[in-house]
Amino acid sequence: MKKLLIRIGIVLVMLLILNWVYSKWFFEKDLRKHSDIVELSWQVIDDSCRIIYLGESSNNHYGDEESNHRKISDFTADYFPTMKMGDLTKEASHAQTYYYMLKHIPATSAVETVVVTMNLRSFGPLWIYSKLETPLRKQLVLLEDYPPLVNRFLLAFKAYPVKTEEEWNELVFEHWRNDTFSIPNFAWRTNVDWDYGMYSYGWYDANGQRDWDLTALACHYIKTYAFEINDDNPRVKDFDAIVDLCRERGWKLVFNLMAENVDKANELVGKDLMLLFKKNHDYLMQRYGSLEGVTVVDNLNLVRDVNFIDQDWTTEHYYEEGRRIVADHLALALREFYPDDYHNPDSLKLDVGHYFLGDLRTLDKQHPYSMTLMLTADSIRPDWDMVNVAFELKRQDDLCNPVFAVEKHGVQGEKSIDSYAVKEQIQKNDAWDFATYALPVDSVFRTAQIIKLYVHNFSDSPIQIRNLDVSFRPAYLKPRVKAQTYKSADANDGK
Amino acid sequence: MVFNSIAFLIFLPIVVLLFYLLPHKWRWLMLLAASCVFYMWFVPKYILILLVTIVIDYGAGVLMERYADRRKLKKTVFIISIVSTLTVLLVFKYLNFLTANLDQLCASLGMETHLLTHIILPIGLSFHTFQSMSYVIEVYRGHQKAERHFGYYALYVMFFPQLVTGPIERPGNLLHQLHEKKEFCYENISKGMRLILFGFFVKMVVADHLGEYVDEVYGHLDEYNSWSVLGCMFFYSFQIYCDFFGYSTIALGSAKLMGFDLMDNFRSPYLSKNIAEFWHRWHISLSTWFRDYVYIPLGGSRVKFGRWAFNILVVFVLSGIWHGAAWTFLLWGFAHGLLHIIEKALRNRFPSKESQSKWLKIGVDVLCVLKTFILVTLFWVVFRATDLEHLKAIFVTAFTNFGGGEQMSVKPGMWIYLGLFILSDIVLRNTRFDAWCEGKPMAVRWMIYAVLVFMVIACSSVKNFPFIYFQF
Repeated sequence: MKKLLIRIGIVLVMLLILNWVYSKWFFEKDLRKHSDIVELSWQVIDDSCRIIYLGESSNNHYGDEESNHRKISDFTADYFPTMKMGDLTKEASHAQTYYYMLKHIPATSAVETVVVTMNLRSFGPLWIYSKLETPLRKQLVLLEDYPPLVNRFLLAFKAYPVKTEEEWNELVFEHWRNDTFSIPNFAWRTNVDWDYGMYSYGWYDANGQRDWDLTALACHYIKTYAFEINDDNPRVKDFDAIVDLCRERGWKLVFNLMAENVDKANELVGKDLMLLFKKNHDYLMQRYGSLEGVTVVDNLNLVRDVNFIDQDWTTEHYYEEGRRIVADHLALALREFYPDDYHNPDSLKLDVGHYFLGDLRTLDKQHPYSMTLMLTADSIRPDWDMVNVAFELKRQDDLCNPVFAVEKHGVQGEKSIDSYAVKEQIQKNDAWDFATYALPVDSVFRTAQIIKLYVHNFSDSPIQIRNLDVSFRPAYLKPRVKAQTYKSADANDGK
Repeated sequence: MVFNSIAFLIFLPIVVLLFYLLPHKWRWLMLLAASCVFYMWFVPKYILILLVTIVIDYGAGVLMERYADRRKLKKTVFIISIVSTLTVLLVFKYLNFLTANLDQLCASLGMETHLLTHIILPIGLSFHTFQSMSYVIEVYRGHQKAERHFGYYALYVMFFPQLVTGPIERPGNLLHQLHEKKEFCYENISKGMRLILFGFFVKMVVADHLGEYVDEVYGHLDEYNSWSVLGCMFFYSFQIYCDFFGYSTIALGSAKLMGFDLMDNFRSPYLSKNIAEFWHRWHISLSTWFRDYVYIPLGGSRVKFGRWAFNILVVFVLSGIWHGAAWTFLLWGFAHGLLHIIEKALRNRFPSKESQSKWLKIGVDVLCVLKTFILVTLFWVVFRATDLEHLKAIFVTAFTNFGGGEQMSVKPGMWIYLGLFILSDIVLRNTRFDAWCEGKPMAVRWMIYAVLVFMVIACSSVKNFPFIYFQF
């Protein structure tokens, strides 16, 4: 026994020495070779990088025929020309990969804000048990919290799921077969039932012949999106870990929920799938949208079918317009953190739920109306029940009488105007100040054909108005843009 | 469960610990359960096939012994057992190949048939069926007493260190060891650990690194020049050797931890001077199986040259087919058999002269070793090729594309690992790593351990290469 203990002692000393040797001369080389996400972050993150964008293929894909190959992160960075935004993009990444990427950002870095791509698809079995998991998980082994030699040992002995494509597929099928939908009176029990239902019912072409391609695509949408996210979902756990990590490191966290092709999903599969979209979306918004220090940018329904590159598959690969829409939306959220660095873009329709008119207008008796946001009722989603309005206003004196107006035109041509006084919200003369409104999206909104939002001033005393920001959202979500953070470069005018 | 996995590194110490903690009468049960877990780690349902073979051959053993004096009945039982075992092998290993070829044959005769089957080969089937058959044959011949305890017999077939890739044990060597009471012995632990460590080095550092080059070049023949393909042939010779030798060494070490001695499977085969010697040193458990159960019953070497040549061809073709159901394996076995016959004929025609000087003899030996290695290397190409088209493409690229294509670049580390292995193979020519370490001073021994541990952890390939012989 004594002999054995001596040997064990020798082995321990030997391992300590070997760990030292490995850490000193081999580990960094291995990290660069086998965990290129760290290599990537070393390249990207330097002392001046304050925002980092973590993404997957949605960030860097562009159409074959496109001349503009700029990424979502590039377009977002355009809004903050004085800041450096780092981009850590790796194909097929998901929350677990992002967690490891974030964990290895040096404590000495200048990073303040982290934008993490949140991809709805990544919560489904098709992605969780994708064959790409083997190489992805392999990359993470060297990044574990153990001594370097132990990490290398784990890598050598394949301490990650080594599965063949068939084995991964079997796991996916297992979930499709066994995960039952919890929605009461839902038409389908499992993904497999639904898939089979679609396959049996299918799509037909104009000649009444079975359209197998379209049927296969509809089935694929079911396979991809027909799942329910709950607290046990591994991605939820990973995103929770990211929240904890960001809190620990003092980073502001933005989850960028990517747009999915809901148009096609609706067209091919219909309301049952839309219900799951909504349910999963609401789950994520409720879980993360209400957390302190976490902002969720909701792009889910923003990009229209025509802006999706892959028309015969489910991806988040957008044409330039789609990438710009997501980037613009994200930039608006980041403006909350960096109002002084935000470069005011041209008037821009950001999305169907969020509108931003960045013009500057002077309103007086001759020109009493501001820029007008005009909407049709069908552009207002059923789940939006609040509208937040914010704009900046500068007056010369308190003789002015600005009014914020919501004008609704009914189907029969009838018109009603809701007016909201602005004067009470403006405290100072010759300085930009803010007016904000949170209004319910009531039945009049929904039944109106056309809705116009604008500010008017019929008084003799002129006012200036700019940056009309209107966002529709479900009531349980906090406003994406807080009026008190609207500080423009000349916010201290008149002081 | 594969040896080079975390699961096995957790599994093995637990099994060894339980083995020594349990009283002898329960050890067989624990080992059998552990072997089931080990096998079911791959695809659980395949254990049923194994169970069928075990039940039939166990029953056959008992019956043959019971009816020892009724020769006809004994023979019938024997034939039923062998046929049923071979049927399992035929269905799971050869049916796809046979049906595919029948379809092709019918197509060439203008008939359209759809006989092709897609049966998945259970892991290690060829190994454990041969081990089971060796028991039945030995009992039939009266060389082995039938095992009355079903558990021990099942353990003999399923003993996890050698279950999926051998060595193909004989009842005479293993069965009685399973019955023996093994006491904890530091020496066994030490020897076992040495073998496991060396096996990991050979598999994970040498074989798997070589595999990266081999897969790359053989998978993209059109991109590489002849030198690269020739280099790849050389590398594959060592890849397959190190892969299989590594596995066997880990198997030996794992068994040794519990005091069991499995048979050696390799003895520096690339240092053989002729093909006959090569087969005495390569996959010894299989070549001796064929020798004892096919070659000798056919008449062995105590027959005329023509008949002997026929026997050799039968044995080698069967050996080729044993490896896999493909024409390439058949061709590989045939090539080895043919070379064996040619060498024997040449030796008969030109017997070596005793009067050669020592240095001349060494020179001739070196040339013979080189000749054998080159020929075996060329034959490995046949073995590695996915089909006859691929085989043709490899040889065409290897000998006609010296000017075009890329030159495979080999990292210096690769030469170091391979060099170390070749050196160890020469040093360990007539011994095993565990025994060789025995005579070294403690400081030297531990220095060697440290280097091996470091190489296994820090220098092993991170690509996942399943053991090549798993597919057989």
